[in-house]
Amino acid sequence: MKPDALRGHLDALLLATLDGEQLHGYAIIEALQQLSGGALDLPTGTVYPALRRLERAGHVTSDWSTVGGRKRRTYRLTSAGQRALSAERTAWREFTTVIDGVLGGGGGWART
Amino acid sequence: MGPDVIDHRVIDRYVTDLGSRLRGSKRQVRDLLAETRDSLSDATEAHVESGLTEQEAQRRAVAEFGPVKEIANEYQAELAVAYGTRTLIWLAVVLPLLHMAWEFVRMLLIGPWQDFGTVPPQWYLFIAKANDLAGGVASGIALVALVLGRVLARTCDTRLLARLGAGVALGAVGMVLAGNLAIIAATAHLDPARLLQSVPMSVASLITWTVIVRLGLLARRCLSCATIVA
Repeated sequence: MKPDALRGHLDALLLATLDGEQLHGYAIIEALQQLSGGALDLPTGTVYPALRRLERAGHVTSDWSTVGGRKRRTYRLTSAGQRALSAERTAWREFTTVIDGVLGGGGGWART
Repeated sequence: MGPDVIDHRVIDRYVTDLGSRLRGSKRQVRDLLAETRDSLSDATEAHVESGLTEQEAQRRAVAEFGPVKEIANEYQAELAVAYGTRTLIWLAVVLPLLHMAWEFVRMLLIGPWQDFGTVPPQWYLFIAKANDLAGGVASGIALVALVLGRVLARTCDTRLLARLGAGVALGAVGMVLAGNLAIIAATAHLDPARLLQSVPMSVASLITWTVIVRLGLLARRCLSCATIVA
Protein backbone atom coordinates (compact mmCIF):
# COMPACT_ATOMS: atom_id res chain seq x y z
CA MET A 1 0.00 0.00 0.00
CA LYS A 2 1.39 3.45 -0.93
CA PRO A 3 2.83 5.67 1.82
CA ASP A 4 0.61 8.66 0.93
CA ALA A 5 -2.53 6.56 1.37
CA LEU A 6 -1.29 5.44 4.78
CA ARG A 7 -0.16 8.74 6.24
CA GLY A 8 -3.66 9.91 7.09
CA HIS A 9 -4.30 6.69 9.01
CA LEU A 10 -0.93 6.30 10.69
CA ASP A 11 -2.10 7.68 14.05
CA ALA A 12 -5.02 5.23 14.19
CA LEU A 13 -2.81 2.31 13.12
CA LEU A 14 -0.29 3.12 15.85
CA LEU A 15 -3.02 3.40 18.48
CA ALA A 16 -4.39 0.01 17.38
CA THR A 17 -0.92 -1.56 17.54
CA LEU A 18 -0.48 -0.35 21.12
CA ASP A 19 -3.91 -1.59 22.23
CA GLY A 20 -3.18 -3.60 25.39
CA GLU A 21 0.57 -3.60 24.70
CA GLN A 22 3.67 -1.74 25.82
CA LEU A 23 6.11 -1.75 22.92
CA HIS A 24 9.33 -0.05 21.82
CA GLY A 25 9.59 1.63 18.43
CA TYR A 26 10.87 -1.24 16.34
CA ALA A 27 8.43 -3.69 17.97
CA ILE A 28 5.63 -1.32 16.89
CA ILE A 29 7.00 -1.30 13.32
CA GLU A 30 7.21 -5.12 13.31
CA ALA A 31 3.68 -5.44 14.72
CA LEU A 32 2.36 -3.06 12.03
CA GLN A 33 4.01 -5.11 9.29
CA GLN A 34 2.78 -8.42 10.72
CA LEU A 35 -0.80 -7.20 11.23
CA SER A 36 -0.89 -5.90 7.65
CA GLY A 37 0.69 -9.04 6.20
CA GLY A 38 3.63 -6.89 5.04
CA ALA A 39 1.40 -4.64 2.93
CA LEU A 40 2.23 -1.42 4.82
CA ASP A 41 5.02 0.25 2.89
CA LEU A 42 5.94 3.31 4.91
CA PRO A 43 9.40 4.73 5.71
CA THR A 44 9.88 3.33 9.20
CA GLY A 45 11.47 6.59 10.34
CA THR A 46 8.09 8.34 10.09
CA VAL A 47 6.75 6.21 12.94
CA TYR A 48 8.83 8.03 15.57
CA PRO A 49 7.59 11.60 14.91
CA ALA A 50 4.05 10.14 14.77
CA LEU A 51 4.57 8.57 18.21
CA ARG A 52 5.76 11.95 19.55
CA ARG A 53 2.68 13.59 18.07
CA LEU A 54 0.44 11.06 19.83
CA GLU A 55 2.36 11.67 23.03
CA ARG A 56 1.79 15.44 22.71
CA ALA A 57 -1.91 14.78 22.25
CA GLY A 58 -1.90 12.78 25.50
CA HIS A 59 -2.91 9.55 23.71
CA VAL A 60 0.37 7.74 24.32
CA THR A 61 2.94 7.85 27.10
CA SER A 62 6.55 6.69 26.94
CA ASP A 63 9.31 5.63 29.33
CA TRP A 64 12.87 4.50 28.96
CA SER A 65 13.06 0.93 30.23
CA THR A 66 15.29 -2.10 29.81
CA VAL A 67 13.98 -4.56 27.21
CA GLY A 68 16.02 -7.69 26.41
CA GLY A 69 19.04 -6.24 28.21
CA ARG A 70 18.93 -2.98 26.20
CA LYS A 71 17.61 0.40 27.24
CA ARG A 72 14.59 1.25 25.08
CA ARG A 73 11.93 3.91 24.90
CA THR A 74 8.65 2.03 25.25
CA TYR A 75 5.18 3.34 24.48
CA ARG A 76 1.72 2.52 25.81
CA LEU A 77 -1.78 3.91 25.41
CA THR A 78 -3.22 6.31 27.99
CA SER A 79 -6.91 6.21 28.88
CA ALA A 80 -7.40 9.18 26.49
CA GLY A 81 -5.60 7.12 23.82
CA GLN A 82 -7.91 4.18 24.47
CA ARG A 83 -10.92 6.47 23.97
CA ALA A 84 -9.37 7.93 20.80
CA LEU A 85 -8.84 4.40 19.46
CA SER A 86 -12.49 3.49 20.11
CA ALA A 87 -13.56 6.65 18.28
CA GLU A 88 -11.21 5.84 15.37
CA ARG A 89 -12.63 2.30 15.11
CA THR A 90 -16.22 3.57 15.13
CA ALA A 91 -15.46 6.21 12.50
CA TRP A 92 -13.65 3.62 10.34
CA ARG A 93 -16.57 1.15 10.51
CA GLU A 94 -19.02 3.90 9.52
CA PHE A 95 -16.73 4.99 6.67
CA THR A 96 -16.22 1.49 5.27
CA THR A 97 -19.96 0.69 5.55
CA VAL A 98 -20.81 3.75 3.46
CA ILE A 99 -18.05 3.23 0.89
CA ASP A 100 -18.74 -0.50 0.66
CA GLY A 101 -22.43 0.25 0.07
CA VAL A 102 -21.48 2.32 -2.98
CA LEU A 103 -18.38 0.58 -4.36
CA GLY A 104 -19.10 -2.99 -3.29
CA GLY A 105 -22.71 -3.29 -4.45
CA GLY A 106 -21.99 -4.09 -8.09
CA GLY A 107 -23.47 -0.85 -9.54
CA GLY A 108 -27.15 -1.52 -8.75
CA TRP A 109 -28.25 1.99 -9.79
CA ALA A 110 -26.87 1.60 -13.29
CA ARG A 111 -28.83 -1.60 -13.86
CA THR A 112 -32.27 -0.58 -12.60
CA MET B 1 39.58 -2.49 7.21
CA GLY B 2 37.30 -5.36 8.37
CA PRO B 3 33.69 -5.70 7.31
CA ASP B 4 32.42 -4.94 10.85
CA VAL B 5 33.96 -1.46 10.71
CA ILE B 6 32.39 -0.81 7.30
CA ASP B 7 29.02 -2.06 8.59
CA HIS B 8 29.06 0.21 11.60
CA ARG B 9 29.70 3.14 9.33
CA VAL B 10 26.45 2.67 7.42
CA ILE B 11 24.29 3.33 10.48
CA ASP B 12 26.75 5.80 12.03
CA ARG B 13 26.79 7.90 8.88
CA TYR B 14 23.00 7.97 8.71
CA VAL B 15 22.59 8.89 12.40
CA THR B 16 25.35 11.52 12.20
CA ASP B 17 23.82 13.05 9.07
CA LEU B 18 20.40 13.09 10.74
CA GLY B 19 21.79 14.64 13.93
CA SER B 20 23.63 17.38 12.00
CA ARG B 21 20.31 18.55 10.53
CA LEU B 22 18.41 18.80 13.83
CA ARG B 23 18.03 21.79 16.16
CA GLY B 24 16.29 21.78 19.53
CA SER B 25 16.74 20.71 23.12
CA LYS B 26 19.95 18.66 23.40
CA ARG B 27 18.19 15.99 25.48
CA GLN B 28 15.36 15.66 22.94
CA VAL B 29 17.78 15.39 20.01
CA ARG B 30 19.85 12.81 21.92
CA ASP B 31 16.70 10.77 22.71
CA LEU B 32 15.54 10.80 19.09
CA LEU B 33 18.95 9.78 17.77
CA ALA B 34 19.29 7.00 20.38
CA GLU B 35 15.87 5.70 19.35
CA THR B 36 16.85 5.89 15.67
CA ARG B 37 20.06 3.95 16.29
CA ASP B 38 18.13 1.30 18.27
CA SER B 39 15.59 0.96 15.49
CA LEU B 40 18.27 0.59 12.81
CA SER B 41 20.12 -1.99 14.91
CA ASP B 42 16.91 -3.98 15.47
CA ALA B 43 16.06 -3.88 11.77
CA THR B 44 19.60 -4.99 10.91
CA GLU B 45 19.33 -7.97 13.30
CA ALA B 46 16.01 -8.95 11.74
CA HIS B 47 17.46 -8.78 8.21
CA VAL B 48 20.55 -10.77 9.23
CA GLU B 49 18.24 -13.45 10.68
CA SER B 50 16.42 -13.56 7.36
CA GLY B 51 19.66 -14.31 5.53
CA LEU B 52 21.32 -11.01 4.52
CA THR B 53 24.92 -10.23 5.32
CA GLU B 54 25.53 -7.68 8.09
CA GLN B 55 26.40 -4.99 5.58
CA GLU B 56 23.42 -5.68 3.31
CA ALA B 57 21.19 -5.77 6.38
CA GLN B 58 22.35 -2.35 7.58
CA ARG B 59 21.91 -0.86 4.12
CA ARG B 60 18.40 -2.31 3.92
CA ALA B 61 17.57 -0.99 7.41
CA VAL B 62 18.73 2.52 6.49
CA ALA B 63 16.84 2.44 3.19
CA GLU B 64 13.64 1.33 4.92
CA PHE B 65 13.99 4.06 7.55
CA GLY B 66 13.57 6.69 4.85
CA PRO B 67 15.53 9.45 3.04
CA VAL B 68 17.48 11.35 5.69
CA LYS B 69 16.22 14.77 4.53
CA GLU B 70 12.58 13.71 4.68
CA ILE B 71 12.95 12.06 8.10
CA ALA B 72 14.97 15.01 9.45
CA ASN B 73 12.19 17.41 8.44
CA GLU B 74 9.61 15.34 10.34
CA TYR B 75 11.88 15.05 13.38
CA GLN B 76 12.65 18.78 13.27
CA ALA B 77 8.96 19.69 13.32
CA GLU B 78 8.51 17.61 16.48
CA LEU B 79 11.65 19.09 18.07
CA ALA B 80 10.40 22.60 17.29
CA VAL B 81 7.02 21.94 18.90
CA ALA B 82 8.74 20.43 21.95
CA TYR B 83 11.02 23.47 22.25
CA GLY B 84 8.05 25.80 21.87
CA THR B 85 6.12 23.91 24.54
CA ARG B 86 9.03 24.11 26.95
CA THR B 87 9.45 27.84 26.32
CA LEU B 88 5.73 28.52 26.81
CA ILE B 89 5.83 26.62 30.13
CA TRP B 90 8.78 28.78 31.19
CA LEU B 91 6.88 31.93 30.23
CA ALA B 92 3.69 30.82 32.00
CA VAL B 93 5.58 30.12 35.23
CA VAL B 94 8.40 32.69 35.26
CA LEU B 95 6.58 35.87 34.21
CA PRO B 96 4.10 35.97 37.15
CA LEU B 97 6.90 34.93 39.54
CA LEU B 98 9.12 37.70 38.16
CA HIS B 99 6.42 40.29 38.74
CA MET B 100 5.68 39.00 42.26
CA ALA B 101 9.39 38.90 43.14
CA TRP B 102 9.84 42.45 41.84
CA GLU B 103 6.92 43.75 43.91
CA PHE B 104 8.14 41.86 46.99
CA VAL B 105 11.66 43.28 46.70
CA ARG B 106 10.30 46.73 46.08
CA MET B 107 8.09 46.60 49.20
CA LEU B 108 11.02 45.22 51.21
CA LEU B 109 13.56 47.80 50.10
CA ILE B 110 11.68 51.04 49.60
CA GLY B 111 8.12 50.38 50.72
CA PRO B 112 5.12 51.87 48.90
CA TRP B 113 6.05 54.18 46.01
CA GLN B 114 6.59 57.69 47.24
CA ASP B 115 4.28 60.17 45.63
CA PHE B 116 5.52 62.22 42.76
CA GLY B 117 5.65 65.93 43.51
CA THR B 118 2.35 66.26 41.73
CA VAL B 119 -0.27 63.67 40.79
CA PRO B 120 1.11 61.74 37.79
CA PRO B 121 -0.75 62.35 34.54
CA GLN B 122 -3.32 59.84 33.33
CA TRP B 123 -1.07 58.55 30.55
CA TYR B 124 1.60 57.64 33.12
CA LEU B 125 -0.89 55.82 35.35
CA PHE B 126 -2.15 53.94 32.27
CA ILE B 127 1.37 52.82 31.35
CA ALA B 128 2.10 51.80 34.95
CA LYS B 129 -1.09 49.75 35.10
CA ALA B 130 -0.44 48.17 31.69
CA ASN B 131 3.08 47.23 32.76
CA ASP B 132 1.75 45.68 35.98
CA LEU B 133 -0.68 43.57 33.95
CA ALA B 134 1.68 42.65 31.08
CA GLY B 135 3.39 39.73 32.86
CA GLY B 136 0.09 38.18 33.96
CA VAL B 137 -1.52 38.61 30.54
CA ALA B 138 1.53 37.19 28.73
CA SER B 139 1.57 34.24 31.14
CA GLY B 140 -2.17 33.65 30.50
CA ILE B 141 -1.61 33.76 26.73
CA ALA B 142 1.19 31.19 27.07
CA LEU B 143 -1.10 28.93 29.13
CA VAL B 144 -3.92 29.17 26.57
CA ALA B 145 -1.44 28.40 23.78
CA LEU B 146 -0.25 25.31 25.68
CA VAL B 147 -3.80 24.01 26.11
CA LEU B 148 -4.67 24.73 22.45
CA GLY B 149 -1.43 23.05 21.34
CA ARG B 150 -2.44 19.87 23.13
CA VAL B 151 -5.99 19.96 21.73
CA LEU B 152 -4.71 20.58 18.18
CA ALA B 153 -1.78 18.14 18.44
CA ARG B 154 -3.22 15.60 16.00
CA THR B 155 -5.26 17.85 13.73
CA CYS B 156 -2.93 20.81 13.11
CA ASP B 157 0.13 20.49 10.90
CA THR B 158 3.16 20.09 13.19
CA ARG B 159 5.26 22.71 11.39
CA LEU B 160 2.42 25.23 11.57
CA LEU B 161 1.90 24.45 15.26
CA ALA B 162 5.60 25.01 15.93
CA ARG B 163 5.50 28.37 14.16
CA LEU B 164 2.37 29.44 16.01
CA GLY B 165 3.97 28.45 19.33
CA ALA B 166 7.11 30.41 18.53
CA GLY B 167 5.01 33.41 17.47
CA VAL B 168 3.05 33.34 20.73
CA ALA B 169 6.27 33.02 22.77
CA LEU B 170 7.86 35.96 20.94
CA GLY B 171 4.67 38.01 21.31
CA ALA B 172 4.44 37.27 25.03
CA VAL B 173 8.06 38.27 25.68
CA GLY B 174 7.61 41.31 23.43
CA MET B 175 4.62 42.41 25.48
CA VAL B 176 6.60 42.25 28.75
CA LEU B 177 9.58 43.93 27.13
CA ALA B 178 7.41 46.74 25.76
CA GLY B 179 5.77 47.22 29.17
CA ASN B 180 9.12 47.52 30.93
CA LEU B 181 10.58 49.84 28.30
CA ALA B 182 7.47 52.01 28.35
CA ILE B 183 7.50 52.48 32.13
CA ILE B 184 11.22 53.28 32.12
CA ALA B 185 10.78 55.80 29.32
CA ALA B 186 7.72 57.33 31.01
CA THR B 187 9.49 57.59 34.38
CA ALA B 188 12.60 59.05 32.75
CA HIS B 189 10.38 61.66 31.12
CA LEU B 190 8.53 62.51 34.33
CA ASP B 191 11.11 62.12 37.12
CA PRO B 192 14.53 60.77 35.96
CA ALA B 193 15.98 60.75 39.51
CA ARG B 194 13.46 58.09 40.51
CA LEU B 195 15.09 55.58 38.12
CA LEU B 196 18.33 55.52 40.14
CA GLN B 197 17.05 56.26 43.62
CA SER B 198 18.18 52.95 45.13
CA VAL B 199 21.15 50.73 44.33
CA PRO B 200 19.41 47.50 45.49
CA MET B 201 16.44 48.33 43.27
CA SER B 202 18.78 48.93 40.35
CA VAL B 203 20.26 45.47 40.98
CA ALA B 204 16.73 44.00 41.10
CA SER B 205 15.98 45.75 37.79
CA LEU B 206 19.14 44.31 36.26
CA ILE B 207 18.11 40.80 37.35
CA THR B 208 14.63 41.35 35.91
CA TRP B 209 16.09 42.47 32.59
CA THR B 210 18.45 39.51 32.53
CA VAL B 211 15.51 37.13 32.94
CA ILE B 212 13.47 38.93 30.25
CA VAL B 213 16.38 38.87 27.79
CA ARG B 214 16.95 35.16 28.55
CA LEU B 215 13.27 34.44 27.86
CA GLY B 216 13.52 36.49 24.67
CA LEU B 217 16.48 34.41 23.48
CA LEU B 218 14.54 31.22 24.22
CA ALA B 219 11.59 32.52 22.19
CA ARG B 220 13.89 33.51 19.31
CA ARG B 221 15.42 30.03 19.33
CA CYS B 222 11.90 28.60 19.16
CA LEU B 223 11.37 30.50 15.91
CA SER B 224 14.67 29.32 14.43
CA CYS B 225 13.82 25.71 15.38
CA ALA B 226 10.40 26.11 13.77
CA THR B 227 11.61 27.68 10.53
CA ILE B 228 14.83 25.77 9.85
CA VAL B 229 14.68 23.45 6.86
CA ALA B 230 16.46 20.26 7.93
